[in-house]
Amino acid sequence: MAEIPTIAEQTAPARPWWMYFLRNRAATAGMVFILVALLLALAGPTVYQRLLPADQQRSRDGIFQDYESINAEASPVHWLGADYLGRDTLTRLLVAVRVSLLVAFVVEAINIGLGGLLGLLAGYFGGWVDMLISRLADMLFAFPGLLLAILISAVFGSTARELYGGTGRLLLVAAALSLVSWPLMARLIRSETLALKSRDFMLASRSLGASDFQLIARHLLPNVAWIITVAATLDVASVIVNEATLSLLGLGIEEPGASLGLMIFRAAGKIERYPLQVFIPAVMITALVLAFSFVGDGLRDAFDPRSRQSG
Amino acid sequence: MWRIISQRLLSLIFVLFSVTFLTFIVSSLAPGDPVLNMMGGRQDPVRYQFLRHMYGLDLPWYQQYFNYLGNLLSGNLGYSFKYPERPVWSLIANGVPVSMQLGLTALTVSVLLGVPAGVLSALWQNTWRDTATMTIMLALYSVPSFVIIPVLWVVDLALYRAGWPSLPVAGWGKPEQLILPVLVLAAANIGFIARLMRSSMLEVMRQDFVRTARAKGAPESIVIRRHVLRNALLPLLTVLGPATAFLVTGAFVVENLFAIPGVGYLAVQSIGQRDYPVIQATTILLALAVVVMNLVTDIGYTLADPRVRAD
Repeated sequence: MAEIPTIAEQTAPARPWWMYFLRNRAATAGMVFILVALLLALAGPTVYQRLLPADQQRSRDGIFQDYESINAEASPVHWLGADYLGRDTLTRLLVAVRVSLLVAFVVEAINIGLGGLLGLLAGYFGGWVDMLISRLADMLFAFPGLLLAILISAVFGSTARELYGGTGRLLLVAAALSLVSWPLMARLIRSETLALKSRDFMLASRSLGASDFQLIARHLLPNVAWIITVAATLDVASVIVNEATLSLLGLGIEEPGASLGLMIFRAAGKIERYPLQVFIPAVMITALVLAFSFVGDGLRDAFDPRSRQSG
Repeated sequence: MWRIISQRLLSLIFVLFSVTFLTFIVSSLAPGDPVLNMMGGRQDPVRYQFLRHMYGLDLPWYQQYFNYLGNLLSGNLGYSFKYPERPVWSLIANGVPVSMQLGLTALTVSVLLGVPAGVLSALWQNTWRDTATMTIMLALYSVPSFVIIPVLWVVDLALYRAGWPSLPVAGWGKPEQLILPVLVLAAANIGFIARLMRSSMLEVMRQDFVRTARAKGAPESIVIRRHVLRNALLPLLTVLGPATAFLVTGAFVVENLFAIPGVGYLAVQSIGQRDYPVIQATTILLALAVVVMNLVTDIGYTLADPRVRAD
């Protein structure tokens, strides 16, 4: 006799999303790489310093200039060599990764908080709220690519430096990049909210007397959370490139601070003699960008059964 | 068709308003008194008033904005802060044809390389050649230009050292100086166009009319060329806008690393001198380039697609 699945079997909970994620090898590798990079960026410089001979430990803050080892090759004292000012390349690389991840974290916090919230509000309330938010997003969309971020960093760059030094520049870059990022997030969340708003479960909750706040926080938010996560993860990749681009153009992180873009720019002029000084940060930024893209794609496939089947 | 074109023109006005308004606001929020900066140590109240009046800085902000718009409409991009009484246009005029030549060549190259790559990949669907092509295209799309540039430089240098023909890595004026920057600038768009072309081809190949064409005995080359390719090329028109946006950000990096005197290079120079009207004018010019490209795309699409035309 043919086995007829019971209703309980038919509706048995699907495997949790992270099992799909872990089956995606590229995404898992990307995740591991990001975690290692994060750990190294946070603790690396300190640990590295302890691993060196006692008399060399001063040169490990990423700013100290060791004139004995200008453009030094890799050695037990400078594991990845030193730059044109005798600064240790490995330390500066780790500090630069810290800057990249910090900028990305700030931008995504704003992106999720502002873009996600405005998208929800625009989609849920419609009317003039939607009108206002959507037109504002459209205005920012009018600027192609990084242009607005370039303008803002250029105009406020020197003030940020004078007021708050390197931190000021970092925050300015983050603010400029968030301004470019949030409209896309808002647009995504708005259209998803619009689609969800007319679904039966929303109508049911509303007829049971749920308030606007409850409907948004308890019913809409959990349903768009995965889109926010995926969009923010994928956006990190472009934020990392954009921060490096601004710094490379002299609009972002400045000397003596470290940024992957700045490291590449400083070493580019002498690439024929010291190619490693260019390629070490270049490989790092490529790896970071690919890792975040893989994780983003992996998360999307894990959360969204439709993209899983087609891909 | 005219309805669509007039809609596009309306949205064009909105975009132009957004770009000029935001650019004006950001630049006028620039800290410090530009006139005081310009005068340096000389405290001459008469000269101060004269300069303030000349730049229109003594007017209320909305009047300044309208004057600014009026000037823009008559082709006046304002006056430089760095070189008083010199129009901004005279500072960037030489850069405009350079950037246009660079950008249009890059756009042509990306279409000429991206389309065949996408078409072949679609024809090779699910073979190792498809996977290999798409991996390369993904890499071109996601690896930032300032990583591709050093790689090309080092390859070029190796050719030079081996006594083989090599290309100049900087400068402007000779045709061979165009090759490397164009390749770098086109890289992201090649990847983007190839991926779009592949999915567009696959989409069309699934259609009924393609099956009909095959069923009536048309040879494969005719099916592909006449039935698939002609339809698959249509969505390509829509990427010209985003592709130009890529070029705009790319131009800043490429022009600065290859020392090409285009608007991106001149803008970055002027930022160092706090000459805000120049970066302001550059922003508007580049945004305008994208706006025009989007309009051309929209009209081209309307003319090319009979379904839209009939609407």
